This record gives sequence, structure tokens and C-alpha cells, in this order.
Amino acid sequence: MTSVRLRDGALDIIEAGAGKPIVLLHSLLADRAIFDKIVPILARQRRVIVPDLPGFGGSSSAGATIEGIADRIAGLFDALELGTTADVLGLEVGFCEQVHTGGCSAAGCVARAAAAIDYGMCDVAFLLFADTHVLEDRTDHSHSYRREWTDPYGLMGPPGAFGLLTRAYETKYGLDYRMLGKLAVTQRNHALLNENACEKLRVPITIDDYMNSRIIADPIRLLDCVMRTDGAAGLLMMSRKRAKEKGLSKCIIPIGYAERTNFKGGENLVDVTKSGHEICGKKALGAAGIGIKDVASFHPYDDFIIAIMLQFEAFGFCKAGEGVQFIRDHDFSYNGDLPLNTGGGQISAGQAACSSHNLVEAVRQLRGEGGKRQVKDTRNALVTGIGWINYGRNWGSSAALVLVPE
Amino acid sequence: MTKALNDTLGVKRTIKHFDFSEPYWEATKQKKLVIQYCKATGKYQHFPRPVSIFTGRRRDIEWREVSGKGVVFSYTITERGTPAFRGAEPYAVVSVTLDVGVNFIANIVNCKAEELKIGIKVKPYWHPLDDGTHLLMFQPDRDAA
Repeated sequence: MTSVRLRDGALDIIEAGAGKPIVLLHSLLADRAIFDKIVPILARQRRVIVPDLPGFGGSSSAGATIEGIADRIAGLFDALELGTTADVLGLEVGFCEQVHTGGCSAAGCVARAAAAIDYGMCDVAFLLFADTHVLEDRTDHSHSYRREWTDPYGLMGPPGAFGLLTRAYETKYGLDYRMLGKLAVTQRNHALLNENACEKLRVPITIDDYMNSRIIADPIRLLDCVMRTDGAAGLLMMSRKRAKEKGLSKCIIPIGYAERTNFKGGENLVDVTKSGHEICGKKALGAAGIGIKDVASFHPYDDFIIAIMLQFEAFGFCKAGEGVQFIRDHDFSYNGDLPLNTGGGQISAGQAACSSHNLVEAVRQLRGEGGKRQVKDTRNALVTGIGWINYGRNWGSSAALVLVPE
Repeated sequence: MTKALNDTLGVKRTIKHFDFSEPYWEATKQKKLVIQYCKATGKYQHFPRPVSIFTGRRRDIEWREVSGKGVVFSYTITERGTPAFRGAEPYAVVSVTLDVGVNFIANIVNCKAEELKIGIKVKPYWHPLDDGTHLLMFQPDRDAA
């Protein structure tokens, strides 16, 4: 018998055999001894794991709830590294890739799958975006600068970092927060038209609500911030030939992609109002053969409202420092002159599914499946990614993806 | 901002160090600030890394003592603290450009909210921790004016 130490307690388990794992859970009216007779038989072909449930034997209690017990058993699966996603779902796959570029992962997945398909490594790719931020707190700073260089000063992760960034922007260029509020309201109005948006966020807001929302890390307000939710999304990708064979219609083609990680990473003092989108935006649009004025709808990564404005500047919709004026001059609603995050964006739909919301919305729009919020111009869509925050800087990874209907 | 800033000195801190930052923490026991310096390029870097960010080589790194004086590059007033800082709000987190050309994020003490602005000059304030090291914070450098 061994004791497995988990984040929130310990579980006693017995293990026998080798091979594909099988976990036996006893009922709440017995203990693991009820499996004693069948364990040796199963162990001839399988790795058998039998835990004492929390509160039984040497296993510490997890509170008397089914959720508590389930969480602890899920923790055991993680600790024993049982089950990749493919194993848990019973999938046999010919090509496997995990993409960990933070908020650039969704767009980055599309590019990597396209490369694998073009190279012949993969016929059909299923892009799975799933996460459980809320159910399981997976905040782990153990490999990040945070635990040593910002946690001891109480800098609260992204809101704190964006507080520093926003203050620097405001001092350099000035900032009319009501214009950030206009973006918040536009996105919220879109979420009201999106039945997949997180229900809690589907209440109307005004610019005054934005201005009066409580300060988190001055000048960052509550309604600047994205809220994590649990969710999942999926995309299927394949060659045009394969799609034709399958009789699929209304396919969406990724025709331009670029990413930039650790922009100016080899310099100490950089202009924090600039990001790698300056570089990857031009590359992605160039590959797609369109100019910034040709962008039909814009689906920028939105973890904070000001990130949208900074992207207007970095992509060249307007010059540096002119983001506020650009917001004042344009209508970003789904039927406006530059439709913006028409599903509500992450800030008003919820940050779920590995931040794939804006990508999935762009695909829906180009397929003409935007419902009440359908955009008129479906010639193309520009989707972006933003990954993590570097120490005292702007975001660490930037991605840009141009989609067109076939 | 009418409420006075909390200097956060009452917040309990336990900091786990990466191996390659140990020389930094060792120096703080004597209230000395050392920063990684790349001999090949003549540039400093912060936070500490296992290699020079300019050359990618470990052997180019040495630690040099610096003054810790600088100017506020940016700041944020935290109204909703991290769990360890709950109850200490509002408190300021500043990013300071040290005179050796790196930015350092920390708290600021002896500073009124209306005094805190981008560009003000600051100097070190050493806050003792239980393990004998000191945590670098900043305070306004009023003599430097």
C-alpha cells in the first residue's frame, strides 16, 4: 500500500499489475477490501489502482460531499498521470500536439494543424479547446518569475500588470476612459445576442456602469477585466480535397498567420505600449494579401479592454497614441463599420475553452451562422491572440490569424 | 484617492527562491542590492535568469552591487489585493527604472498617494524578512529632488 500525497490531502492506494490503468472505486458502505478477490485477476492484464476513498483507511477526509470526493479522485488521476485526453476519451490518433502559448494557443493551434495537414502528417485534425479554471484552481506560479519577483509585492497577476501598463500609456498619451467604456458596452451588447455567452455576464451595461465599476488595480476597473469560466469548443480541420470528398460546405480557410513571442525580449527598457502584434500583424495580413483597411470584422484577444485599443494601434488601424480617437470615430457593433468581437469577446462572453471564443465566433460569422448578430461583410475576419505578461512589460506572445470563407 | 496608502510592511511574506537567484537574496542579508550583469555586453538584467538574456551564456553573468536609486516608471494602486495582501488595500506597486537601466517591481513606503507619480526619484528601503534576508522596497528620494 502506498500513500499518494495530493494538493489537498492524501489517499491510500494499492496498485497491482501493469498495462492500461483501471481504477476501482469502492462504495460508501464498504472499503477497498471488497475488490481483493478480483484485483489479482484484473492485474494479469491491467495496471489496477484501488484507492481508499477520502475518509476511509488512511485517506484524509474531503468533506462529506460527492464533489469533494470526485475532486480528490481527479487529483489522484493527475498525480498518477493516468489518462491523457486521448486515453480518457478512448481515441486512437495518428498525430498529437499540445499547444501552450497562453492566449495565443487557439490561433496557434489552427496554424500548427494547418502545417501538419499541409505536410502530410495528419489528414483530419480535431482541435479541442477545453478547460476547467473554475472547477479546479490550477494557478501555479512555481516556474514563473511571479513567485519570487511580483507575488511578494502583492502585484495581482494580469490586473496588476495591466494597471502598470495602463498608467504608463495614460502618462504618455493621455487616456479617455469613457472610450474604453464604449468598447466594453459594445462587447456586452454582442454578448446579449449570443446564447452561448456566460449567463452571468448577459446583463446590459452602460458607459457609466463601466466608469463606476470598482477599481481593482487602479486604473484597471472590474469591467476592464475578463472573467474565467469553464467551457469547451472544438474545430475540425482538413485539406480542401478531404473536405470536398466528405461533402462539407461553408469551410473556412486560414490564409494568413504569424506570431511573435517575447517581443524585444533582449532589451531591458522598452516602450510597454508596444507589442509583437506590430510585427505579426503585418506578416499575417501580408500573407493573406489584404491591408488593414480591408479587415471586415475584428476579433482581437481581450483579457482587458485596453488590450483591444493597444491592438488597434499595433495592427495599424490607427497610429500609436490615437487609439482613443479611433474608438470615438468608429462603430464597432456587429452592424457598424468595424464589427468587433461580435460574440461578446471573452470579457463579456467569459474566458473559457483555452481562450478560443473569438476564433470560434469569427468562424461562425464567416459561415453565416452569426444569428441575430450576423455581420454583413463576411469577406474575411482577423483573429488575434495574446499570451501571458512578461515582467513589467507588455504581453509575452502575440498572434494574428486571417480567415476567409472558401 | 483620499485613503492613505498602506506600506504593506505588516504583510507576512515567505518567498521561495530559484537556485540561480540565491546570490541576490544572500546580498540582501547585508541590505546590499546586487543585479545580474552581462560581462560580454556590459548590460544589466532583472529579474535574475540562469543565463544572460543578451548572449544566452551562463558564464557571461556576474553579480554587481548597484545603488538601487531610480525613478518610478509606472505604478498601480491595488484596491483588491492578492490573498496574502487582503486587508492591506489600498497599496501601491511600483515599477522603478534603476540607474543601471533595468526595471524593478516593488512596493513603496513613506509615500503619500498624491506624491506618487511617474518620474519621481526613489531610493531603496529594506524590509526585514524572517529568514534573515531583506525585501527591497522603495521610498521617495526627497534629497535628490
